[in-house]
Amino acid sequence: MKESASRSGIPLKPFYGPEDIPGAQAGQLTPPGEFPFIRGRHNRPGMGWIQRELSGEGDPTRSNEQFKYLISKGQAGLDVIGDSPTMACLDPDHPLAANTIGTQGVSLCCLQDYRELFQDIPLDSISISSSVPPVFALTGLYWVAKETGVDLDRVRGSVLQPPFYAEDCGYAFHIPFEVRSRMACDTIAFCAGEMPRFHSFVEDTYFFSEAGLTAVEEMALGFVEIRYLVRKLLDQGVDIDSFAPRIAILLNCSMDLFEEVAKIRATRQIFAEMMGDEFGAKDPRSMGVVITSHTSGLSLTAQQPVNNIVRGTVQAMALAMAGVQAMEISAFDEGFRTPSPESHLVGLRTQQVLALESNVGQVQDPLGGSWYVESLTAEMKARIWEFIRELEAKGDPGELVSNGWFKQFFNQTMQRYNRGVETGEITKVGVNTLTLPEEEDTLLKSVAEEKILPCRERIEKIKAMKAARNADRIQEVLTDIYRAVGDPGTNLIQPLLAATQAGATIGEMAGVMREASGAPYDPHGLIPPILTHKP
Amino acid sequence: MKKQRVVIGIMGLDQHEVGALGIVRTLRDAGMEVVYAGKFNTPETMVSTALQEAVDLVGLSCHSWEYTYYVPELLDLLKQYNLPIPVVVGGSVITPEDEKKMEEMGVAAAFGPSTQVPEMVERIQAIIQESAHG
Repeated sequence: MKESASRSGIPLKPFYGPEDIPGAQAGQLTPPGEFPFIRGRHNRPGMGWIQRELSGEGDPTRSNEQFKYLISKGQAGLDVIGDSPTMACLDPDHPLAANTIGTQGVSLCCLQDYRELFQDIPLDSISISSSVPPVFALTGLYWVAKETGVDLDRVRGSVLQPPFYAEDCGYAFHIPFEVRSRMACDTIAFCAGEMPRFHSFVEDTYFFSEAGLTAVEEMALGFVEIRYLVRKLLDQGVDIDSFAPRIAILLNCSMDLFEEVAKIRATRQIFAEMMGDEFGAKDPRSMGVVITSHTSGLSLTAQQPVNNIVRGTVQAMALAMAGVQAMEISAFDEGFRTPSPESHLVGLRTQQVLALESNVGQVQDPLGGSWYVESLTAEMKARIWEFIRELEAKGDPGELVSNGWFKQFFNQTMQRYNRGVETGEITKVGVNTLTLPEEEDTLLKSVAEEKILPCRERIEKIKAMKAARNADRIQEVLTDIYRAVGDPGTNLIQPLLAATQAGATIGEMAGVMREASGAPYDPHGLIPPILTHKP
Repeated sequence: MKKQRVVIGIMGLDQHEVGALGIVRTLRDAGMEVVYAGKFNTPETMVSTALQEAVDLVGLSCHSWEYTYYVPELLDLLKQYNLPIPVVVGGSVITPEDEKKMEEMGVAAAFGPSTQVPEMVERIQAIIQESAHG
């Protein structure tokens, strides 16, 4: 029999007793809502969590219909993902986009798209969590809120800030690291002033941990990124308490139920102690981090998709017991496609059954005091810190991004994961054990295997939109962005807002930012730069 | 005997790399020479890499539906250049129906998610051998 260990490799005993809780840990088990927040960010029993499912498909209008459907089924927040071109900061009329417009998310490239996307969505009560390149998600939301008369200080929602790992883990948009991290800091500084309820700093550990990372590696890499950006903001003179209350962590929830609960409890503690002791936060809200989560797509299988519903339920249960502020269950058809309406509803209903029938949210931190979970929480905390220190000891973490160290790391974790599944070290029901012959594996397969066609009509539409603009004005606003990138003293958000309002597209704005930072306008070398004269 | 040589790539804007890196390692472990062409390929770039690297087989890792459009273009291009290099595709998005369609189109093998790894390696080796003798 193989040695018993958690998913992160923490050795497990046959059972746990009082002697397994470290003395120091016991002393820190304050009530939920109190420093160091191990047991929860708030003390609000029964408050539950924001239920949402990842959505966005086709053009903005089709996605808007999808949003309304989800809201009508009880969803209180939206979780928007862009299609592959949007995530890569390319317009629908880019030659590489044609086969994938709107197939893996919504196609968004200009302000008109955001107007259609958010049509009739109350931006002050529905929180919009955007998994779209953050500055562009922000500028789109900003103008739609302004135009529809929603006060900016009431706009809810969030953007992800992934300057470290996006390029290496599936969301490359080819803007050099220095500018990516500046885009993050400028967004955070801007929102601290203008949009105080908006979570402008979501640390997304979800997407990169899907490269086969353990829970310990996931959180350590996440904290390295948070710490880097916080230090940078402090260096710029931004007050820690002006932005720290709006930091959230979007983390992964995989199948090791107790380790995931321990990970979240340890994460809250690490964050609180780090903000207070190391970064000098005074406001308690700066120390209690918001936790939101997606259940693991990597844990799902294309085989026997119905089993994914069970996986989602187990993971959601862990999240509910860990006391998260929002969650999204990865759809059972994730292995094949962008969520179908059927899988959306199953994910949402799973959350609702948990919230309304299981009583799981009535008592906060229900696993608190469990010898096992407390021991695991202390162990996770120690191991996460150990790996943070190990990474930071290698030098400037930004250097590790630029010189490809993290890319190498992810390549190794991906290969480790693949090998684990191949050898059976990582058990996957339906894949490396308890498989079904293909002809018997039919349940829910037809839903999962249905395809979405690329929304090619967007190509002509966007070309026509571009042609109808005031070309001189577009050159002017894009030139301003080019200049701002070259001047580290300016905040990039104002020129990006102006360009968005003038009708510039994500592909053009990102392209000019690439050029201004010494990279090619089009990373794929297929379209010419837009600026006729460089300043 | 000369080592079998393959190129593995991902097409278009599909950025899922876990599967591609997995198959690269698997084929290397099986004693093959593997050129990894990475992400963001077009039929043109795949064909030119295949030519430059003198490979015996082109393998595409597919985790978005883009491949359904790129594969026929790639096959046409190979035909145009008179290059009888076999093409195989593999990935989670490939359904049994897609497997059939791909093979009808002229792909040497299509591997959906239920294919077991040893079986995939054997098929790839056999395809290269057949094409060398055919």
